Amino acid sequence: MSTGSVLAVDLVIAVLAAAGWLGGGAASAARRRPLALGLAAFALVATLARAVTITALARAGWWFAGEKVLIAAPLALAAVVVAGPRLLRAPGDIRSVALPLFFAGYAQSGALLVTLLHGYPVSAGVGLLALAGVIAATAVSWRALGAGPSRAVSRAALVVAVTALVTGTGLAVAPGAAPAVPHNHKYRDARTSDEPTRRFVLTAGTATVSVSGRDVAAWAFNGQVPGPELTGTAGDVVEVTLRNRDIARGVTLHWHGYDVPNSQDGVPGVTQAAVLPGQEFVYRFRADQVGTYWYHTHSVSDLGVRMGLYGVLVVRPAPVTGVDVTVPVHTLAGLALPEPRTEPVEPGVPVRLRLINTDSTTHRYALAGTPFRVVAIDGSDLRGPTSLVDTAVLVPAGGRYDLVFTAPPTPVALFVDGRAVYSTGPVSTATSAWPVLDPLTYGVGSPVPWSRVDREYTLVLDRGLDLRGLLPRYAHTVNGAADPDIPPQVVRLGDIVAFTIVNRSQVVHPWHLHGHHVLVLSRNGQRATGSPLWLDSFDVRPGDVWEVEFRADNPGVWANHCHNLAHADAGMMLHLMYS
Amino acid sequence: MRKAFVLASTLLLVSFVLQFIFAAVGGFTRPAGDGAYALHSVNGMAVIPVLTLLTALFAALAKAPGRLIGMAILPIGLVVVQALIAMLANASTDAAGASTPLGLTIAGLHALNGIIAVHVVVGVAQAARKLDRPAPGGVVPVTVREGEPA
Repeated sequence: MSTGSVLAVDLVIAVLAAAGWLGGGAASAARRRPLALGLAAFALVATLARAVTITALARAGWWFAGEKVLIAAPLALAAVVVAGPRLLRAPGDIRSVALPLFFAGYAQSGALLVTLLHGYPVSAGVGLLALAGVIAATAVSWRALGAGPSRAVSRAALVVAVTALVTGTGLAVAPGAAPAVPHNHKYRDARTSDEPTRRFVLTAGTATVSVSGRDVAAWAFNGQVPGPELTGTAGDVVEVTLRNRDIARGVTLHWHGYDVPNSQDGVPGVTQAAVLPGQEFVYRFRADQVGTYWYHTHSVSDLGVRMGLYGVLVVRPAPVTGVDVTVPVHTLAGLALPEPRTEPVEPGVPVRLRLINTDSTTHRYALAGTPFRVVAIDGSDLRGPTSLVDTAVLVPAGGRYDLVFTAPPTPVALFVDGRAVYSTGPVSTATSAWPVLDPLTYGVGSPVPWSRVDREYTLVLDRGLDLRGLLPRYAHTVNGAADPDIPPQVVRLGDIVAFTIVNRSQVVHPWHLHGHHVLVLSRNGQRATGSPLWLDSFDVRPGDVWEVEFRADNPGVWANHCHNLAHADAGMMLHLMYS
Repeated sequence: MRKAFVLASTLLLVSFVLQFIFAAVGGFTRPAGDGAYALHSVNGMAVIPVLTLLTALFAALAKAPGRLIGMAILPIGLVVVQALIAMLANASTDAAGASTPLGLTIAGLHALNGIIAVHVVVGVAQAARKLDRPAPGGVVPVTVREGEPA
């Protein structure tokens, strides 16, 4: 059972336990003896069952279990100790066990809320707030059930609850190290001054585009979705002039996966100001990374990319030989792009399919009708890729896979989530049951190119209540904080930096560090044994723990975020900066 | 306070009715984009939780009988469970984000829990009105079974 599944099961058991205790309390208050005893017994079993799931989570990593061991377990123990003996004695008037059952229910609910609202990092403040809530709810129930507590007990409870509330609030809102995200920090402007050899102009504006025969309102570069395909040859100096015609919320160009100098990275408020209607910005960089990349706006990026402000960037080592097809998959207003295309290819011709996922969620690609090799991921060539047949690949949000094959005499088709998008003829193959390629074991391994680590950072991805903004929100968090309150990660030029990325949440987080490619060392404790994987976009699934490293060789302030752009908007975005 | 209790519970009932309508709107929106369930989400994550809290609060302030207060508190738990079911159903997809039989089974519980919750809210709203305007003698007090814990 994967850690992600254990996380989900643990959550379900916690809800059942809380519901069981509270239901038992209500039933006994209504003097329904069999129902009350049944529900309480059920709750007791569920509470004890959590010991198993919490132990499993603790074995998978303290990040998954910290608050459950330190807050939920003591509360559950108190619940069992208070409610258990009373139930065993099962007094004549079942109503007398209502309060202990309610107490157990509040204790379980409090622990559950801690996990859901601020589970990581585990903190004394949150634990005390939960305790205050449990005591207060129990005191109110005691009153409501009629026989209130004696004056002494009442006072003691009040003192404990108020102390816990005040201390907890104090600890919870105590200002941490105020993380100043450096805006417009001036690093040496490393924009190349060489004469451009490839010039492009991209004009962003609202447009109506036709998709599958329907007119769709979109935001487009040069009136088309996707925007123009920018191509170059290694060594080119690329100059792109970005103009904004009428996108009121501003646009920028971010070169996804292209490790450009910081000033060209296109993150509004960090590397440049957003380009407003009527303005322009000129990007210039040397195209010295070959491979498949893409560009997109980073201003209101969730909405902007979804509405169509994206396009393909391909840098080839030499002029094209054979057939070279880009497949940028996107969902525009619920309609799938690109539209299906069929073109016959002469047998024996080499074909390269450049798969690009520009959506915010993973897509499954399946190439039917031919053996193929995955020769590059995220623009970096793989070492010793072997031939694959009847195998699907999962491309994370923002990720790219390059597949090559030699055209066979029979037709070939590429399916995305079961939909044919590119084919050389009619193919009807069911691909849904195919196994999925694990890139961590694909190709030929080689030693890590460094033997030291200078900085280590852990990023624990979760959801949590964020009260720091104007309105409270249920944010996507990193280490318990949400943008702009996540402390920046500081590195020095030349450092070898290690990231441990942990997903405590119930959803996939496609991680994306700007300006660098990270080398994958391990996933869930399993070493990567295949070809070295230099990635810029990788899916950290629920319960996953990824260890990656990179060389800090590109000075600047870099966004480091989840590429499910709705999650980034909801707080899952931090910055890496050079000291 | 009894008037406030009546008002809050009635508004809660109305917001529940709207919630079912918004679910249908989401289900029939074409193409089924990301925003199809926006109304359902906003109503369910903001309006309904606030109204459930207010209903429970006014039930207590109106000095309603203990059982009625309990019934007024129950929707809070059911709403939390409802959000959790939606989260788990969304999480129970295959690697490429397509739904799975398990995920759809959990999604079914979302509807079931919704029915239970609206049943409880109807009972609370009726009892609140009875409490505000006690019927002349001889009328059987409204009895509503407590919802099964989800």
